[in-house]
Amino acid sequence: MNFRIDLPTKLALVLLLWICAFAVSWEAQVVLVLLIIMSRFAVPDFKPQSRRSARAFTRFLIYSFAVATFVLILNSLLIRGGSTFGSIGGFSLYQDGLFFGIRTASRLLLLTFAILVFFISTPLKDLIRYLQARGLSNSFALILLLTLHFLDQLPARIHQIFLAQQARGAPVDAGFISRSRALFSILSPLVLSSIVESIDRGTALELRGFLHRPTSTEESQSSPGQRNVLTLLILFLSLIVVLYTIAQWLLG
Amino acid sequence: MAARIDILSLSLRYSDTALPALDSVSLEIPQGGCVGIVGPTGSGKSTLLHTLSGILGKHHPEVVVSGQLCIGSDTFQGIPREVLFPTVGLVLQDPFIQISGVRDTVTEELRFTLENLDAAGQGSDQLIQTMLSSLGIEHLADRAPTTLSGGETQRVALASILISNPSVLLLDEPVTALDATAQNRLRSILKSLRGRTTVLLTDSQIDFPMSVCDTIVVLDRGRIEACAKPAELLLTGKLLTNVGGSEHWSSLVTPLNQPSSRRPGPLNRIRKALGLP
Repeated sequence: MNFRIDLPTKLALVLLLWICAFAVSWEAQVVLVLLIIMSRFAVPDFKPQSRRSARAFTRFLIYSFAVATFVLILNSLLIRGGSTFGSIGGFSLYQDGLFFGIRTASRLLLLTFAILVFFISTPLKDLIRYLQARGLSNSFALILLLTLHFLDQLPARIHQIFLAQQARGAPVDAGFISRSRALFSILSPLVLSSIVESIDRGTALELRGFLHRPTSTEESQSSPGQRNVLTLLILFLSLIVVLYTIAQWLLG
Repeated sequence: MAARIDILSLSLRYSDTALPALDSVSLEIPQGGCVGIVGPTGSGKSTLLHTLSGILGKHHPEVVVSGQLCIGSDTFQGIPREVLFPTVGLVLQDPFIQISGVRDTVTEELRFTLENLDAAGQGSDQLIQTMLSSLGIEHLADRAPTTLSGGETQRVALASILISNPSVLLLDEPVTALDATAQNRLRSILKSLRGRTTVLLTDSQIDFPMSVCDTIVVLDRGRIEACAKPAELLLTGKLLTNVGGSEHWSSLVTPLNQPSSRRPGPLNRIRKALGLP
């Protein structure tokens, strides 16, 4: 029996956090989000695997709070209930909208941060190996690899296309409306080039024998006595949360 | 061990109505030989390589094929419909695509190939070190593959295929975007493979293949227009074709015994025929 944060534990933790995103109150969700952010710095097993992962986390932290603020303001403006607590540009902000926005934003943050911390702290090869040992076919592993690679390269690719379109005279540095219009001229090359590169990359992996990769037998041969108790505890806790939520719903 | 390649009247078109991508291509590549295929863009060079690797047959089951292909002891009526790795290793034109993207170092990148072959056990570290040394990239062992230059990435991509010890090595335009130093290095590597691996490389420029290959094949619109040893191509203008072993003159090359006033340089004639500046 052992207590350690290995890959199955992290996956179980992501499952628990995702369940909590729909089962617990927004106050608890906010606390969980803060705990996740703190764990990235405090818990060695959740630290980023590389400098690039660390930078991605920081960037995502900034963007996600910007999005959360936007969600709060939007909901406060559009859901008109309760008393007003302020105004923006002559438009009133309502309490009901604010609380709805807080619930929505906290849920979004919890869902995304749970996944983000998992991916920045887990080497991709370990994840693929683990999933393949659990029965994931090589074809699905290939799709997962290509998808994650696409997401990883997306910011750099967008930047490249922005520069190329700017060289053609697209108003990428102009006002919001002009940039929104310019976005359409970026979407098409972005999607097409990403599809083409994904196909080529998938071909390259096939040409290196990836689809005939044997399943690793190391993880699949773990005996019950060596199972991680922490993983089992987290899965048990997830079940308790689900049953509690269902019971609450049934009992009104 | 190197494998012989025999292509017999291979024709391929992507659909019934499309123009042939390969048109009655017949070629014999001896075991351990090095053949360069040159031709303009769209002549069928990459199609031929992708056909030999099996990737085209697998991803395009609808292609209309006739002819026969033999690679080593394997005979295919038409074309192979499965990827033939590790017997046939293909290095793609863009080496950055060939990097897996899931490994943090060059050493791990090579180990990725061995894992795919279930050969990453004991002795793999030594094998990887030997491969890195033979390609002159041992100093890149701990570097991230995504941070390398074009020439370095090309060599890592080549190493990732060579480590599987293929009988046939296919290189799709390997010197695109390589500087002169990197080209020289690749030239040395290919010469070191002579006899051990059968090499087939493509290029739209004739310079590199002429300096490294035993035989040059000129491909245009899916058809073999010329096939000769580099020296014969330049000095005698006499071509040897492998189609039934017959010999004939080619309109692409003017023999040196013609009066110089009517004879343009042979390289210029080849360049003109290939549509090169």
